Amino acid sequence: MAAVTGSAQTRFSRRTDGSSFRDWASEAFEAALLMATLDRADVDTLIVASESDFFTLQLNPAAILAGDLGLVGVATMRVEGGGASGQLAVHAAAQAIASGQARHVAVIGVDPSASQLPAATIKLLYGYSFDAWTDGMTGTSATALYALSYQAFAARIGLPDKCLDQIALQNRANAMLNPNAHLPRQHKMAEIADSPLIASPYRRLHCSPLSDGAAAIILSHPDALPGARGSAPRITGIGAASDHAQLGARQDTGTFTAKRKAMQRACQQAGIGPADIDVAEVYDAYAGAQLQALNVLGLSETLQADLDAQHFAPEGRLPINLSGGLLGQGAPVGATGVAQTATCALLLEGRYHPELQPKRPLRHALADTHGGVCTTAAVTLLSQADAK
Amino acid sequence: MISYELALPYSLEPGWLAPYVEALQKGRAMGRSCSKCGSVSFPPQRRCQCGSGEAQWVRLSGKASVLLRTHGSDGTFGLVQFEGATNKAVTRLEGFASEITDGHLIAPPSDVPALILAPSKSRSTP
Repeated sequence: MAAVTGSAQTRFSRRTDGSSFRDWASEAFEAALLMATLDRADVDTLIVASESDFFTLQLNPAAILAGDLGLVGVATMRVEGGGASGQLAVHAAAQAIASGQARHVAVIGVDPSASQLPAATIKLLYGYSFDAWTDGMTGTSATALYALSYQAFAARIGLPDKCLDQIALQNRANAMLNPNAHLPRQHKMAEIADSPLIASPYRRLHCSPLSDGAAAIILSHPDALPGARGSAPRITGIGAASDHAQLGARQDTGTFTAKRKAMQRACQQAGIGPADIDVAEVYDAYAGAQLQALNVLGLSETLQADLDAQHFAPEGRLPINLSGGLLGQGAPVGATGVAQTATCALLLEGRYHPELQPKRPLRHALADTHGGVCTTAAVTLLSQADAK
Repeated sequence: MISYELALPYSLEPGWLAPYVEALQKGRAMGRSCSKCGSVSFPPQRRCQCGSGEAQWVRLSGKASVLLRTHGSDGTFGLVQFEGATNKAVTRLEGFASEITDGHLIAPPSDVPALILAPSKSRSTP
């Protein structure tokens, strides 16, 4: 099983400091390499996750970053799967290690989703990440598609809209203790409910922000671990799955079927189940998406009661999105999944931001990411090195 | 800071979707009828859920009923069921009052194949 020897990310924010995505990628990579106690000459593979050339205006970004990072000569590739790009890159790296082809893989997720193009242009481009011929040409927004899917889910489960407010409130409160977070906020419930309506039931504060930033991890073969990193957490299960890109083609509009399959596949490989998970970073591009995810990941069968009982809060039985998630920490698309996995690895090692690090020992962590309205699902399970 | 504008004048060929796109530009609904199981998809799916790739193009009425709707600054959109189709569709809803559930496909303002539904008021009045 691949070990996560290095984990790092930049601040997620709207950058106004004159830096570029190449600077952020470099910053995250150098910090991950330092943590891994490796030299750049040890890295034999570079995998870059970046959602869209439209954002970076750089085709083949892995080749450019290899040059910037002093890695020219290594195997390079770019992995893309919409919002799931970062987690799919982690999967590609884990597979490269498992196959024996690679010893140390650098995974870098990066996107300038905030500062390089106007928000309206990004929104237009996101519309083409569903079915370009139907949703895209119709001008359907991501928020509208997510809203329709959530409506079907909420009606089936019987969830009131206040659950959306609870998710946004908790994730942004967690972000208050994360120095890398884009939107640390101590919201009042009324503030969320009074924010502008984007696509009912979603209001602005139920939506994740567009962010700039990068994240990096180093995955190492267990036979090639540096001496100081023998106890680094392992990636014990990866699972990916797909669904119809068109919401109307699905049997059940409100259920993230692909995520359920991805979770089952990851659990089967890891030999654990949802009840074994101690902490999770769950894909919350929208507040309701987190609720839909918790349901199909098997992490909650009584969502409203669990929310009311604060089960997913930092002191609860299963802390969710301690980082703040996409809602609080932010969403530079390609970086998202890499940052989720980095967060899980740091949590397992007890090296996360001190005020967010749970006091009790953690054995298993889950990173959950998807693209589209869960069209492309990618789940990664991480465990302590000495876990079964 | 480098200000840079990129214009991308695409020439998109719809390929197998050509009958759908051409009909939609006139506000008409062309679906795919599966040769094996008879399911009709609109918007069309290249391969039927039964697994068959053999299908014929069929003209649908373009009438649809709204199952779910969302509104806000992004516009008004609905998950709708087109008459004669097995699958559902997401369309823009134009001029739909909240009590209206029946509509029909209309031609988009440009030649872009947008799915736009206008209310069929006579059928919805109680």
